[in-house]
Amino acid sequence: MIEIQNLYFSYSNQSTYVLNDINITVNRGDYISVLGENGSGKSTLMKLILKLMTPSKGTLKNDFLRIGYVPQLFDNLNTQFPITVYELLECYRKTLKIKDKNCVAQSLEIVNMSAFKNALVGTLSGGQRQKVFIARAMIGHPDLLVLDEPSSGIDVNSQDEIYGLIKNININQKVTVISVEHNLKAAMDNSSHIYHLKNGSGHLCKPEDYIHDYVKSSTGGRVNVSI
Amino acid sequence: MFQYSFMQNAFIIAVLISVLCPVVGMFLVLRRYSMIGDTLAHSSLAGVAIGLMLGFNPIITAFVTTSIFGILIEILRTYYKKYAELILTVILSLSVGIAITIISSGHANANVETFLFGSILTVTRMDLWTVLALSLLSMTVIALFYNQLVFITFDEEGAKIAGVKVKRINYIFALLVAATISVSIQIVGVLVLSSLIALPTATALQLNKGFKVTLAFSILISMINIISGLLISYYMDAAPGGVTAILSVVTLLCVIAFQKFKGYNRQK
Repeated sequence: MIEIQNLYFSYSNQSTYVLNDINITVNRGDYISVLGENGSGKSTLMKLILKLMTPSKGTLKNDFLRIGYVPQLFDNLNTQFPITVYELLECYRKTLKIKDKNCVAQSLEIVNMSAFKNALVGTLSGGQRQKVFIARAMIGHPDLLVLDEPSSGIDVNSQDEIYGLIKNININQKVTVISVEHNLKAAMDNSSHIYHLKNGSGHLCKPEDYIHDYVKSSTGGRVNVSI
Repeated sequence: MFQYSFMQNAFIIAVLISVLCPVVGMFLVLRRYSMIGDTLAHSSLAGVAIGLMLGFNPIITAFVTTSIFGILIEILRTYYKKYAELILTVILSLSVGIAITIISSGHANANVETFLFGSILTVTRMDLWTVLALSLLSMTVIALFYNQLVFITFDEEGAKIAGVKVKRINYIFALLVAATISVSIQIVGVLVLSSLIALPTATALQLNKGFKVTLAFSILISMINIISGLLISYYMDAAPGGVTAILSVVTLLCVIAFQKFKGYNRQK
């Protein structure tokens, strides 16, 4: 479970808070999509949950034992990096000191990528690469999966496949999911809850209430969202 | 030529650095840090000058000085996250400034040219033992941290999240680069050392293989280049650094041409 209470965060060179009085509880088995405009604090909140930064004020309790992380696809990948899918996953397994050598093959099976284990990561399509990152995150049976815009830069068919995988991991493997999203349709279709951030403040709601609560209010009643 | 003890020493050192340089170079190149290798190679001249001035083993003083500069780069990286090249200018100014001041004032009482261009004539048995100790230590450290190094090189943020002590390993890696440079300067010379670090990896990358195969190829390419550079320079009576650098570039161009030819044939 993650329990965030009265959390504030500001970067050291800024006087204003990026996150203002955040309160949220993430229970085991939840699938939470974090939505909001650019600069609303989504990535900052994710980094705090991933323990890459510490809050300026307030508390953040995280009792998940192992966190699997799927980075944003085109953010940091060097496509010329000489590494095969198997090497990438095996290196992760060894770094985490996981003794079960089969877990690499099992992770590739979960994402239907066993046939690509000897392919260079840089030669894969966007969707295939994202599946490899999900497989990497699943090594060592994490209890929390954090994804940073899992569908960015991926074609529509692959997006459906990827969200199907994430949903499957959430339901069948009972892994809690927190996904920073720009994809409203995916958030509405798959999440158990949506956490909406605006100007550093957030509110949790059910997907079915999201349009009513936020989109209408922020557009003065007009709904102009393509789903 | 192997009846001469200096040639035996030089040959053993050449084999050691032909393994060490591409291994460290692979991580530097893939992290887009090859210019850090170049800067540290030049900054090792300050260590050599200090060693020659104080009468210490210049390889050891080069190692200490380059380590300090390597750690300084790591520290400054946190202050200039988006201006890595600025840090290199700062370090280069300081280190080359120290080296020029000592050498030009006549305090370095030996031939500094040896360390600028590389030389096989001056390699003593003592140098061999120093290089051997530093090389073995470096290879042990690489073997111990291999997976963490690959992980950090591929995805530094992911490594942090997975619990890898990224900062600590970056400092250890800075020491590794320093050790590699200090063991190589006598044979290859400060001026072209970065070619030994970056070019074997640049060549092996053209083959489009996985990490371990690319690493194995860069070691093989480096071994061929350094050993043939050493032999050619012996018969030409030239500095081995220059010959090795030329050979490294020629090998790279040959591999690029071969790959182009292969691609062209496949298209037909």
